[in-house]
Amino acid sequence: MISEASLVDQLKDKGTQSQAFEVLINTYKERLYWHIRRIVLDHDDTDDVLQNTFIKVFRNIHGFKGDSKLFSWMYRIATNEAFSFLKAKSKKMGISNESLQTQIVENLQADVYFEGEEIQLKLQKAIAELPEKQKLVFNMKYFEELKYDEISEILDTSVGALKASYHLASKKIEAFLKND
Amino acid sequence: MKEKDKHSGFKTPEGYFEGLNNSLLDKLIGEDTSIPQKEGFTVPEGYFEGVNQAILSKIQKKETKVIPMNPYKKYYFAAIAVAASLLLVIGLQWKKEEVYTFDDLAASEIESYFEYHDYGMSSYEIAEIMPIDGINIQDMLQKEIKDENIADYLNDNIDIFDDLNLEDNEY
Repeated sequence: MISEASLVDQLKDKGTQSQAFEVLINTYKERLYWHIRRIVLDHDDTDDVLQNTFIKVFRNIHGFKGDSKLFSWMYRIATNEAFSFLKAKSKKMGISNESLQTQIVENLQADVYFEGEEIQLKLQKAIAELPEKQKLVFNMKYFEELKYDEISEILDTSVGALKASYHLASKKIEAFLKND
Repeated sequence: MKEKDKHSGFKTPEGYFEGLNNSLLDKLIGEDTSIPQKEGFTVPEGYFEGVNQAILSKIQKKETKVIPMNPYKKYYFAAIAVAASLLLVIGLQWKKEEVYTFDDLAASEIESYFEYHDYGMSSYEIAEIMPIDGINIQDMLQKEIKDENIADYLNDNIDIFDDLNLEDNEY
């Protein structure tokens, strides 16, 4: 497998750029898709955000200094794109971000790409109630199985603070699931 | 008073208190959870195979996108200068009796000259030599851009890293 540093070099070189970009898409498309999907929930919206994320990566690769890992940098772009997308959507619909969250969770019931049962729907409702950061940390740790060090680099937060966020988020979700 | 005396001679391993929070949290996090492992999300069949092409074609489209420029009023001066030079050269070489003046050039002729002749300058080169003062963006665009379109474009295309609201105080 190609190293991250040489992939970045190839991405910056006009001659090798296209091929390297395909390697980049193939390596990260699924992980980034699921990261975005857990934020925006709807498949078509996720598709839009994923494509925009890769376009941004392609257009800004020359500005990537290598201070963080390419993987963390891309995750950050994906996260920002997803939240910006939701913000723009709520603005367009003339509703608050919280109302939009409630609405997209309710839409899951009719979504052909959601095959969850009642408990999964309740889980999404519980996650939607969390503050933005706890939601991110919980998804990244519990479902995406990222290491605390990796999350720390992506979100620029200390490992201790992440653990506290994760603990609080899990407790809130458990309590929500227990209540009828 | 020395630290050792204060605690009647008891000591703790170095860094013990610094690591205590982390190990307590690890224990709490490690407890069994009733949260389901499955989420229920699915993707359309073949989606991941087709998404590469969708991304690549979008990139190609964006790379070749050019804003149409229409040299109007503000460019007439430069256009006249170029046209005058050409007339001068032609006039000198052919030694025709009839002499053309600037007034003989209709604005539409100048426009059509720039439209159909390669004058060796890209849009970017023109942008570099054109004075910024006094030029309105609408002078260069065929269609008027509305403020709401600009706001939409900025919303969709600008990186808002700082707007993520990821401060440490929200946990």
